[in-house]
Amino acid sequence: MAATRLLAAALALPGLALADAAPDRGLIAFKYLDYLDSQPGADRVRIKAPALQVLAPFAGTWSLGATAISDAISGASPAFHTRALSKLTDERNAGDLTLTHYLRDGSISLGTAYSSESDYVSRGLSLSGSWSSEDRNRTWSAGIGSSRDDIHPVTHIVSNEHKKVLDLGLGLTQVLNPRNVLQATLGHNRARGYLSDPYKLFDERPRARHATRLLLRWNQHLEGGGQTLRWQYRHYRDSYGVRAHTAGLEFVQPLPAGLSLTPSLRLHNQGKARFYVEVDPEAAPFPTQPPEDAVYHSLDQRLSAFGALTAGLKLAWQIDADWSTDLKFEHYAQRGHWHLGGAGSTDLAPFKARSWQLGLSRAF
Amino acid sequence: MDAAFRIRFNALGGQGEVVLSAADEAQAQALAQRAIDEVLRIEHKYSRYRPDSVLGQLNAGAGRRAVDCDTETLSLFAFADTLYADSDGLFDISSGVLRRAWNFSAPRLPSAAELAPLLALIGWPRVQRDGRQVFLPVSGMEIDFGGFGKEYAADRAATQLAEQGVRHGYVNLAGDIRVLGPKPNGEPWTIGIQHPRQPGKLVASLALSQGGLATSGDYERSFEIAGQRYCHVLNPRDGWPVRFWRSVSVLAPLAVAAGSIATIAMLKQAEGLGFLQDSAMPYLAIDLNGALHRSAAPT
Repeated sequence: MAATRLLAAALALPGLALADAAPDRGLIAFKYLDYLDSQPGADRVRIKAPALQVLAPFAGTWSLGATAISDAISGASPAFHTRALSKLTDERNAGDLTLTHYLRDGSISLGTAYSSESDYVSRGLSLSGSWSSEDRNRTWSAGIGSSRDDIHPVTHIVSNEHKKVLDLGLGLTQVLNPRNVLQATLGHNRARGYLSDPYKLFDERPRARHATRLLLRWNQHLEGGGQTLRWQYRHYRDSYGVRAHTAGLEFVQPLPAGLSLTPSLRLHNQGKARFYVEVDPEAAPFPTQPPEDAVYHSLDQRLSAFGALTAGLKLAWQIDADWSTDLKFEHYAQRGHWHLGGAGSTDLAPFKARSWQLGLSRAF
Repeated sequence: MDAAFRIRFNALGGQGEVVLSAADEAQAQALAQRAIDEVLRIEHKYSRYRPDSVLGQLNAGAGRRAVDCDTETLSLFAFADTLYADSDGLFDISSGVLRRAWNFSAPRLPSAAELAPLLALIGWPRVQRDGRQVFLPVSGMEIDFGGFGKEYAADRAATQLAEQGVRHGYVNLAGDIRVLGPKPNGEPWTIGIQHPRQPGKLVASLALSQGGLATSGDYERSFEIAGQRYCHVLNPRDGWPVRFWRSVSVLAPLAVAAGSIATIAMLKQAEGLGFLQDSAMPYLAIDLNGALHRSAAPT
């Protein structure tokens, strides 16, 4: 369309388009998450997590953001594979602060995060920036973050252990035309220290893990009805041998009176870690013994080979210029035999989870 | 909460104003000054009346020598390429030579003999560009940014305000407007569109929170002879004023886009309405008979 080309040409003129402008209004948001996972005959972990988020612009080109979250964790988790459910209860309090300075062609953010549980304390620091081209059609982003965790499991299987993580990310967002936006993000994560799960039996993982992730996103705004399609593909691979592919699609359907409905579907396929120990049905009711010569081994279902499906539905309502609310429901199901490309892990109980989240926010 | 202040100034041959929110008058003045300086910079750099301006040198070198142009100027030429292509050659930044035959301070119609040599000087695609070197190949050729310079200045001035953290206000250059953000209380600004026949009267007023608004009309710089109006928007093919529209106003994300779409609609005359509808931008147009045409759902 001629006018689209004309507008794109106008936006390509120097010094006209505004980069990541500082927000002109503040935001306060409350979210409540209720998560429950289960296997046939038994509920496993339940998390109830209220969170409060505040974003306050100041001095024109600065903003300060803060989040506080409190998780109440209860229920039971398997000591090995999907057996021997052991009760657990914990409380996690976490918060983060982000200071952002908006520049002519981008922004720079400095963030700090803290999280504490009865047996785990984590402290993190991050620096990130974004730079936009003169016509604002291309944005580069880069970030570096590090965290240091102290681990004191109540089982005393280890004590005074630590974990250090360095995370690097590089992103590119390209506006193809007013209706199509592409984004690619590449990330690398290096963890060192105690990476095993102290509450699982026979869990001994390498003390270093390198992970690489690639995220591709395509937002497509449809002409006419105002719908938006959000395509997503994610690839993850790490030095434990885990390879995962995730493909997702969300469809935003605007409705009258400021309402919108967003159904979503996500497919996930994961290969097992090199040292994951498959269930030996002969061993029941006892745990499968890792091979005698194995230095590293884990019976954690999360490191097994499986396929999974997530279906979600979100209803959002922009009540007026200041208030908005949304309710989101998701159902997740995971099976060993849904794994594509090679056999999945066997003899694990099917795993499922459901979550709902309520959000309420006000601009000020 | 900050109050809104209005700072007036003269530039680009007309009245300009910066309206913005600030803690006090002194702060408003200081913030607005950078925007005003930016408008004056553009006026100085691209005035066709100044021999030392970029366009003054380029026009003086017509038929003789190429002139080295900077990135901003080359970007504006690239924009002019799009305008030329999207208007099927009607929006031509080399058509200003027709002003030699049309003097709007004196009502007089030029003869065909006067127009012919001027029409021969028009043709944006004939301008030679090689890297930064730009050359007008025929002596007497002229280019100017009259068709979008004012809107470009309004956008650039608005960027200057935004970079200082201004979030509420607008820049108005004689009716070509770029809005940065709503009033400090969040309400939109009410901006009037001049009636093309009754000076001082408004034909409509619009609620604007952001974006650009520009109007192209047959009422500024025009004269009437025997009930027929001759305006300053000239068709580069025959050298005569366009006739179909009294005024065309367009809303777009940038003032420079709004102004260009409005001008192309004026130049396309009867076909302008289809062009406006295809543009998908909200518009308000008044035809020669005074009938109002507007986009179905002004947003």
